[in-house]
Amino acid sequence: MTNTENKPVLAIENYSLDYGTANGPYHALKNIDLAIHRGEILGLVGESGSGKTSLAWSIMRYLPKNAREPGGRILLGGDNLLDKSERQMEAIRGRRISMVFQDPSTSLNPTLSLGTQLAEVLMRHRGLSRQQAWKEGEERLAHVGLKTPAQMMNRMPHEVSGGEKQRVVIASAFACNPECIIFDEPTTALDVITSRQILDLFVELQAETGVASLYISHDLALVARTASRVAVIKRGDIVEQGTVRDIFTNPQQDYTRELIDAVPDPAHRLVTEDVVVAEKPLVKVENVSVHFGRKSFLAALTGKKTDRVTGNNAISLSVNPGEILGIVGESGSGKSTLAKAMTGLNRFEGKIWFDGREIRHLGDMDNAYRKDVQIIFQHPDASLNPRQKIFEILSRPLKLFGDGSDLEKQVGDMLEQVRLPRTHANRYPHQLSGGEKQRVAIARAFASKPKLVICDEITSALDVSVQASVVELLLELQKASGTAYLFITHDLNLIRQIAHRIAVMYRGDLIEVVKADEIDSPDRADYTRRLIEAVPRAAAQFQ
Amino acid sequence: MIVYTLLVVSLIVFAITQILPADAAVMMLGENATPEALDALRQTMGLDAPIWQQYATWLWHVVQGDLGTSLRTGQPVGPAMFEALGRSLLLALFSIGLMLVLAIPLGIIAAIRRGKIADMVVSLVSYAGVALPEFVTATIAVLLFADWMKWLPPTGYVPLTDNFLDGISHLVLPVCVISIILIAHVSRMVRSELVDVLHTDYIRAARLKGLSRGHVLRRHALRNALLPTITIVALDVGYLLGGVIVVEEIFAIPGIGRQLIVAIQARDLPAIQAGVLIMAATYSIVNFIADILYAWLDKRIQYD
Amino acid sequence: MTEFIKRLLKTPQGAIGTFLVVLVLAIVVFGPMVAPYDPEKLSPLARYKGPSMMYWLGTDQYGRDIFSRLLIGARATVVMAVLATIAGTLIGALIGTASAFLGGRADELIMRTIDAVMSIPSLLFALLVVNLLGSSTVNALVAVAIAFAPGMARITRSVALSVRKQDYVNAAIARGESSAYIIRREMLPNVIAPIIVEMTIRVSFAVMLFATLSFLGLGAQPPAAEWGLMVSEARRYMHLSAGILIWPSVAIAIVAVGFNLLGDGLRDALNPRT
Repeated sequence: MTNTENKPVLAIENYSLDYGTANGPYHALKNIDLAIHRGEILGLVGESGSGKTSLAWSIMRYLPKNAREPGGRILLGGDNLLDKSERQMEAIRGRRISMVFQDPSTSLNPTLSLGTQLAEVLMRHRGLSRQQAWKEGEERLAHVGLKTPAQMMNRMPHEVSGGEKQRVVIASAFACNPECIIFDEPTTALDVITSRQILDLFVELQAETGVASLYISHDLALVARTASRVAVIKRGDIVEQGTVRDIFTNPQQDYTRELIDAVPDPAHRLVTEDVVVAEKPLVKVENVSVHFGRKSFLAALTGKKTDRVTGNNAISLSVNPGEILGIVGESGSGKSTLAKAMTGLNRFEGKIWFDGREIRHLGDMDNAYRKDVQIIFQHPDASLNPRQKIFEILSRPLKLFGDGSDLEKQVGDMLEQVRLPRTHANRYPHQLSGGEKQRVAIARAFASKPKLVICDEITSALDVSVQASVVELLLELQKASGTAYLFITHDLNLIRQIAHRIAVMYRGDLIEVVKADEIDSPDRADYTRRLIEAVPRAAAQFQ
Repeated sequence: MIVYTLLVVSLIVFAITQILPADAAVMMLGENATPEALDALRQTMGLDAPIWQQYATWLWHVVQGDLGTSLRTGQPVGPAMFEALGRSLLLALFSIGLMLVLAIPLGIIAAIRRGKIADMVVSLVSYAGVALPEFVTATIAVLLFADWMKWLPPTGYVPLTDNFLDGISHLVLPVCVISIILIAHVSRMVRSELVDVLHTDYIRAARLKGLSRGHVLRRHALRNALLPTITIVALDVGYLLGGVIVVEEIFAIPGIGRQLIVAIQARDLPAIQAGVLIMAATYSIVNFIADILYAWLDKRIQYD
Repeated sequence: MTEFIKRLLKTPQGAIGTFLVVLVLAIVVFGPMVAPYDPEKLSPLARYKGPSMMYWLGTDQYGRDIFSRLLIGARATVVMAVLATIAGTLIGALIGTASAFLGGRADELIMRTIDAVMSIPSLLFALLVVNLLGSSTVNALVAVAIAFAPGMARITRSVALSVRKQDYVNAAIARGESSAYIIRREMLPNVIAPIIVEMTIRVSFAVMLFATLSFLGLGAQPPAAEWGLMVSEARRYMHLSAGILIWPSVAIAIVAVGFNLLGDGLRDALNPRT
């Protein structure tokens, strides 16, 4: 069967998917029409609950028992996959169509070596013997940029980094020269710089082999860098499809426009520059270090030395009243550690000056300090007590730090301030969405009218559109109350939009603190420059 | 770690037995003995020393291998106990063996046929297994197989070295009774572990590489699901030691459980102390070996 | 409350478990009133009878009505088991929470000690305690309570630790809340639920442990109608009438399975997120 350049490698025609639930069928996908040609990368962009992952499972024919398919076809090189038996699909998966998953630490079997997991694909589909497969595996690993392929084959997953693992997974996906590969958010679980490297690798391999690729992501900016065409999916519907250029310069649908606008654009500043650098900063962190690890009982008895991990290494920085100081860094850089030290959740060495008072440890953090310094956490599910109603959660800080009179009215006002209905006070956290819960957390923080609010990756667990509205809310509150923020994030684009100054951290050290508009100057430290380069900026290429 | 455990156990045992109202001297000489005779005996037995000193002396002897003299038989406690332990271990080993042979396949079947009839049957069986205490199962088993059907001898013990077949036939019922609860418990654990493993991302990734169900089960899932089984089995040895007591009593097997019951009923302090110590030590050693085995097999674990 | 009961009855385990436990509790409360015969009434002429209209489950070796004995015996077996479990849970929960709260070396020490205590099988432990205190129902209760305490301490500690790690506890600490407040208002409500689930399942173990003690002659004493004792006495006469053995066994099984299932049902019903 000839596959001319015009016939798509993967064609989804009018395909629908339902899940049978206790409350009736849930329409996960509705009349999907997509096509990917040879050599093409199609980006599929959607937020959580959009059905993008369900589509991947549908294509691979790996659906849960309660899945129903009311209609449509999925054609791989002309064969309708819906007609295939499980046996036939087993022959197709890994060979004609393969998949790269989101988190390499969970998609690799922790008890088998990397080599075994790579070789088994080769043995299964290409009929190689173990020795042959092993040798070929080594070659493949070299091809994906791993420095010591022979040793890598023998490594266990936990012995290598996230980036290296993902390269192995990519090698497995490309191993049998498939016609089509699905990439399901392959860089989400990786650090910014590693993400960039993996992305580059993917683009390189794709160009070399011409494999038709479906690149699924929630990150529009990322997709714009890699794909030639984009499809936007919302709640099971393909809202809009087109070339990347068209979508970005001329979006047809409102939702698409919303998504594009929600993507942080560092060139588009959201704060004004007028922050007076007071002679006396609001908070001054002086040589603060945090160490983890304590001697176990037996170690103390036997006098063994134990390794202590350094979370923060002599950090010194300051925040001015009303200023937004951003702290960026990859995971393990120590940014959350610092936040926890400043709120007494971590023991630290060094000094913290707040509003003229010296704080050396938890005991010094009195009620006045607590009132003025508040923290908001990353995961809205975990930061609200699931057994307390919203009213109780919000009235507590009022009782502690404010006046406890007429709590109902005050709580209602607080909810309105964060744009939630007053009736939410009677609900439990699990009845609210992620974005709503985070707003409650913000309301809780602002209840005491603090001078400093520490935001510890508060938008990282949220969808892009929700993130945008939460940031908008934060800036509104800041304008109204003049509160200073210590905004911790790994999203460099976002911080460039909202911060006055930015602090860069790496592995427990503070690299540098600069004004936001100077972050991309060539005078920056090496690490900072690498970080800037690694971050995709969608809008930039279209202006 | 084991040392600390045994120390604590010895302390507990010693403390418990020392609070007994009747003291050893009275037991040996009877209620009508003269106070002088009692005092003299107490002195020889060292019962007039302060408690902590008695404890230290006893501990010192234990460390040297002397577990004391039975108040009941007048013989050294150690040899009798260890011999009895040997028989109990035989019982235990057979039970664990039977359990492994049955529980693991049952658990696996229940996991791969989750929600279907096979799974429900296994679930039912395991629920039933934990519903009855050993003495009930034992009694019913004796009723059924020994009295009614006369397939097996009801009680008693025949050493395997004397007459292998006869010895085995005497062991069948006790082993089955002990195994039932073990099988119920372990098969449930295996099922639960395997179901969890089968839902992981890496199993899904393996299936999406085109590997067959059988291959994924054998080479990926089973090794990860069965590893925790080692820990469960080790913990169950604790239950085993308890069950052994009842079963030995009912089936009249002269194992360590029987010895302990006899000792407790006779208030034979040295024997009680030694017996409990031995049981606790066995449990600790088994768990220790299990931990090492687990760590060796699972290359992921790093002890900090 | 009604919401909770609805959730409980939704799952098969919850429904069956609740039904069985309610049945058992009803028997405990109303048994003695409903029992047709005096459990200790001997009828030498009516021995070893099978089930009939007069004696619903037959009679035992002394001609006593088995059905009545079961109804009366429910009190001895079930109530004692429940009380013992509650007592053991309270003691264990106190130790476990304190250990989790203290943390550090104290926590390690307490836990190693608990591990050491747990290396003595619970039956053996109970035997020793009963032997110490004398054989009676109340002493057996104390023995079972003490035997269960270490296990519950372990579980409480592990639940407390995982709750402690949650961000809402961190948020409370960051607000400067006192330890008392944190334990009481933030941690306890989230710790209690898993403990209750575990405790319910443990009742079934307690029932069996209790019956075993009676069986060995170290718990309830004759002529009490405790179920374990009934099985023990039945051993000599079971070839004359199997019912003497079967019915108390069935009763024990029903209680054990009932509480087990109820525990499973509670686990789902008390989970705030589902």
